[in-house]
Amino acid sequence: MTGPTLVVGEAEDGHLSDATKEAVGVAQSLSGKENVVGFVAGSASRAIAVGFGRVGVARAYLAEDPRLEGAVGAVVAHLVAQAADAAGAELVIVGGSTFGRDLVARLSVRWNASVATGVTALSRHDGFLEVRRPVFAGRATETRKLDGAHAAVALRPHAFPAPADAAGEAALTPVPLDTVPPALWNAKRLGLTATVRGAGPSLTEATIVVSGGRGVRSAENFHLIEELASSLDAAVGASRAVTDAGWRPDSYQVGQTGKAVSPQLYVAVGISGAIQHLAGMVSSRVIVAINTDASAPIFKVADYGVVGDLFQIVPALTQEVRRVRGR
Amino acid sequence: MEIVVCVKAVPDAETRLRAANDGGTFDIEGVKFVLTGYDESAVEQALLLKEATPGTKVHVVSAGPPPRTEEVLRASLALGCDSATWVEMPAGVAADPVLAARALARAVAAMPHDLVLCGKNALDDEAGVVAGALAELLGVPDFSSVLDLRWDAGASRLKFQRATEAGTETWEAPLPCVVALQRAWNDPRTAKLPMILKSRKLPISKVAADPAAPAAGTSRPLKFELPPARTGAKILEFKTPDEAAQKLVKILKEEAKVFP
Repeated sequence: MTGPTLVVGEAEDGHLSDATKEAVGVAQSLSGKENVVGFVAGSASRAIAVGFGRVGVARAYLAEDPRLEGAVGAVVAHLVAQAADAAGAELVIVGGSTFGRDLVARLSVRWNASVATGVTALSRHDGFLEVRRPVFAGRATETRKLDGAHAAVALRPHAFPAPADAAGEAALTPVPLDTVPPALWNAKRLGLTATVRGAGPSLTEATIVVSGGRGVRSAENFHLIEELASSLDAAVGASRAVTDAGWRPDSYQVGQTGKAVSPQLYVAVGISGAIQHLAGMVSSRVIVAINTDASAPIFKVADYGVVGDLFQIVPALTQEVRRVRGR
Repeated sequence: MEIVVCVKAVPDAETRLRAANDGGTFDIEGVKFVLTGYDESAVEQALLLKEATPGTKVHVVSAGPPPRTEEVLRASLALGCDSATWVEMPAGVAADPVLAARALARAVAAMPHDLVLCGKNALDDEAGVVAGALAELLGVPDFSSVLDLRWDAGASRLKFQRATEAGTETWEAPLPCVVALQRAWNDPRTAKLPMILKSRKLPISKVAADPAAPAAGTSRPLKFELPPARTGAKILEFKTPDEAAQKLVKILKEEAKVFP
């Protein structure tokens, strides 16, 4: 693989997303700065495509059309494959998002690419790529070999640094849409009635997560967890006991059947540490456990443990964090 | 409505993971394979749709090696699926999600399919690639990260929500399509004993793997590694909650260097 690498961009608040910038960084270190090409598809995405220049990408493909608003993933995959071929690219890299994973899945067939998702390391060898990725909810890591003429890789969020923003504008090449099979437009999204962004960082993207478990005892007590999280600018999670009891919605659940998180710091409060829960957080960098039961399994995976009553420890901790952070 | 649910047999959550002798994959010796996680939830969702929509049939499909694949198909029949189809594949080949999707597509294309349901990802390889690849092979749209799925018979539309990084989107879509479920039920139904007994005798359709299919994918495992074992928490000593809080913040700041 010696051709250019195509980075597929995604927008976030009118700019290239952080996940896309991380993908640009990976592509630049793998292929050389001159050998990276951008791609953006959307209904009004010119400024976003031009923005590739700010992270050192001189050239980008732009597919712009009102019909792309709410189009299905198959349309974007078709356009990406077309641009990748036009650029002579052998590798497509995309950020670690829902969009990225869906795109890579489609490209495995449409572009006949060997694919990997959730990638945390990527290296080029003679005639093939090697990727590393966590499996079994972070309980193990696999190294895979991707060979074949084409490869498409979706990264794991926050696994790579993003290049610093600088001045610059990418020169754009339009991607024609007339090659999209007409049937794909028929399968367009029919309605979008609400897009609600929650307050605070999202659970899977946060650098700090504070989770509460059965030990919190009631929905009313859960504010203790939320106040500690707020003092640390952290996202709030919960164990399955909490969501099963309806103290907090299912979307809070960290675990095997909830969300898998790998923040820099994970604080488990009143959580005993069932395998179900551990599977979703064990790959966090630093784990702190607060629990009354010194024999709770959570202390086996935690780095630091406080054996004590959360109703006393957590308010004291919140206060101390606020004091030290001066707020 | 004809619903097809795609499932995969994966190691039970309690499995102690070890690298196999070849070093590239995990050791399956003594491992119990089960229907679990998002796949179990996909079966639950299919059965809920069936209960809410008269005339609906639920067909479960799996691609993989014996005996685990047959076991999860029988478990799905015991839960109430109407038919089961097995594409037998060697373990190594089935481990490539794209080849698994190709095998599933061959089976699904040959059966009636209005709605194809998949879990968001299998709990072992966590690739999350099968639904999108399957949709591409079947030539239908796919929707990932779907939370809540309803069939509006009057409008002939699926109604659902998607959880993406941007928030929660509300969608309507016509059939046919592939849906990858993000929603996981914590308490999906469990099979009743008479159904478990009955499921052991129910027929399972076998679909031969495509003779022209490649024997290995273009993505191959090289190494399977376990992280260094955690040695257990350093337990803080303290006399008052305030002292515990001060010690912890100091550690997070100076030792662990994760204080914001």
